[in-house]
Amino acid sequence: MSNLLAILRLELFLSRFSLTAKILVLAPALVCLARFALVWLNQAGQQARASLIGADEFALAQAQNAYGQFVDGVNTGLTILALLLAAAAAYDFSSERDIGSIRHVLIRRAGRASIVLAKLLRLHILGVLSLGLLGLAAWAGSALIWDFGPVVEDGFELISEQEILYEIHLGLLMAVIPLPAVIGFGVLVSVAAQSATQAVTVALGATLAMDIFKALLGERAWYLYATFHPSVLDQSYLREVSRLVRGFSDVLVEDRFFIYNGWIPLVSVVVFVAAALLLVSRRGL
Amino acid sequence: MNEANPALRVRGLRKRYGDVPVLHGVDLELSAAAVLGLVGLNGSGKTTTIECILGLQRFQEGEVSVLGRGPADLFRLQGDVVAIFDSPSVPPHLTVRQCLEHARRLCPRPVRDCAEVERMLGIESYTRYRIRQLSLGNRRRVSIAQALLGEPRLILLDEPFNGLDASGVDRVLELIADLNRETGAGFLLSSHQLPYLERVCSHVAILHGGRIAAAGKLHDLLADVGSRVILHSTEPDLALKLLENDARVMVLENHSATHLMLRLRDWRSDELVAHLVQHEIPVCELVQQRASLDNLFRELTAGERK
Repeated sequence: MSNLLAILRLELFLSRFSLTAKILVLAPALVCLARFALVWLNQAGQQARASLIGADEFALAQAQNAYGQFVDGVNTGLTILALLLAAAAAYDFSSERDIGSIRHVLIRRAGRASIVLAKLLRLHILGVLSLGLLGLAAWAGSALIWDFGPVVEDGFELISEQEILYEIHLGLLMAVIPLPAVIGFGVLVSVAAQSATQAVTVALGATLAMDIFKALLGERAWYLYATFHPSVLDQSYLREVSRLVRGFSDVLVEDRFFIYNGWIPLVSVVVFVAAALLLVSRRGL
Repeated sequence: MNEANPALRVRGLRKRYGDVPVLHGVDLELSAAAVLGLVGLNGSGKTTTIECILGLQRFQEGEVSVLGRGPADLFRLQGDVVAIFDSPSVPPHLTVRQCLEHARRLCPRPVRDCAEVERMLGIESYTRYRIRQLSLGNRRRVSIAQALLGEPRLILLDEPFNGLDASGVDRVLELIADLNRETGAGFLLSSHQLPYLERVCSHVAILHGGRIAAAGKLHDLLADVGSRVILHSTEPDLALKLLENDARVMVLENHSATHLMLRLRDWRSDELVAHLVQHEIPVCELVQQRASLDNLFRELTAGERK
C-alpha cells in the first residue's frame, strides 16, 4: 500500500508536465464554454428575428433559462471527457511501456499491480479535477449569459427551481457513475495493446462503436456501461434532464434504467480492472 | 554477500518466444563487487537474459535470485537493483532536470542530488533541455545519471556504450570502476564492445547458442586461451598435416590459402618455427597475437576445428 501511494505521487508529479493531463483537465470546460458562446450568438440572431415577427412565450422562457443551458453544457463537456478519459487511459500505460520508463518503476519501487492501480487512481483524480472545472465553467458561463430560475409559462410554474436542482443532481450522478468504467476500459486496452498508437486507436474506436451499436441493441444496451454516460449518440439520463429542466413533461424513464445505470458500470469497472491486473501480471514489459 | 550467497545467481534459465527457444539453460553467477561482462553474438539472448533477471519477461524454466530476491520482487529491494537499458528509457517530454527529479522520487534512498549526477555524467549544460532534443549519447548519459541517484548494490547495463563518443565511454568506464571500488556495487554489463568490457570487467560470461559457452574471471579465461599465432607458409597443407596430431598446438582455422591460425600450449613460437623448419616446411612469417577477450570471443563463437 505504501508503494501504491509512492507511485501515485510519482504519477501526479509526471502529470504536472504532461500535455495529455492538461488537455484532459481543461478541454471539457473549454468545449462547454465554446458551446455557450455559439448558443449565445445563435440566440442573439433568433431574438432579433423574434422581435420582428413575434415569438412563442414558452420557447422564449426555455431559451432564457440558464438551467437548460447548464445541463447542455455539462452534457457536452462530459461527452468530451468520456472520450478523453478513454484515450488518456489507453495511452498512459502503453506509452510508458513503449518508452521503457515503466521498467524503472517496476524494478525500483512497485509491483505490476500497484503500477496499474496507481495509474487508475491518477486518472480518477484528473477526472475529478476535470469534472470540477467543467461544473464551475458551466455554472459561471450559463449564469453570465442566462438567468437561473423556474420555468414559467403564462404565470404558471411548469417546474420549480427545487425540482430542477433535484433532476440536475440525479442526472449528473447518473452520468458520472459510468466514468470509472470508461477509465477501466482504457486501462485494460492499454495493458493489452502492443503499442500506444494501437491502444489509443482501439480505445477510441471501441468507444465510438459501442456508441453506435447501443442504439441498435434496445434494452440489451442497458448491460453496456457506455449506454449511461453522455456521448455523441446520447442515451444517458442527463439528456432527459435537459428536457425536464426546460419544462417538458413527456420524459418517460423506467425505474429499471436507474438500477442498471447504478450497477452495470460498477460491475464493468471491476471486470476491466481485474482483467487488466491479470494481463499485466503475465505479459512482458 | 559472499561467494556462497552471490549478488546474482541464474540456474538453468530457459526461455522461448512462442515456439522459438532463445535460452537453453543459462547458468550465471555474479559475486558481490564483481563486474561481469555478458557477451554474445546478435540474437544470442543477452537482452532476454537481463530482462528475465529483472522480471520483465516470464521464463519457462530456471531459477533467478537477485540479492536473495526473485525477479518479481526486485522492487522490494528498494532501489538496491537498478538497470540501464539498450534504449534510453526516459520520457521524451521531460527536461533533463525533471527526468532526474522523477528518478530521485523513484529512489527510496537517494544519496546524490540531481546537480551532482549531472556533473558526474557531464550533462550539466543540458539541464533545461527536453530529452527529445538530446542526442542518443546524451540521452544515454541521462539514463545512466538516473541510476546513480541512489546507492545501488547491483547495476545491470544493457549495451551501455551505444551512442556514446570516446570521452563518454571513458567517463562511463571510469564511473563503473569508481563505483565498484568505492561502494562495492556489482555490475552486469551486456555489450558488443569487447575492448571496453576488457578494460573494466573482472569476470566474463560468453553466451552462445542459448548457453554460457565460457564463464569465469577474465584473467583466468585469457590465460587459458594461451598464445595464438598466425603462421604464413607457402606449404600450409604440409604444416597442417604435421601439426594436426601434435598436442602442443591447436589449429584454430585456415586463416587464408597461405595462413593458419594456431594456438600454442606449453610451446614457444621459436620452438614451433624450429619444428617446422626441421620438417622442411617453409615459414615466411609468424605473427604472435595477444590473448584478448575479442580473440577468445571469436574463438568460442566460431567453433574450433580441432
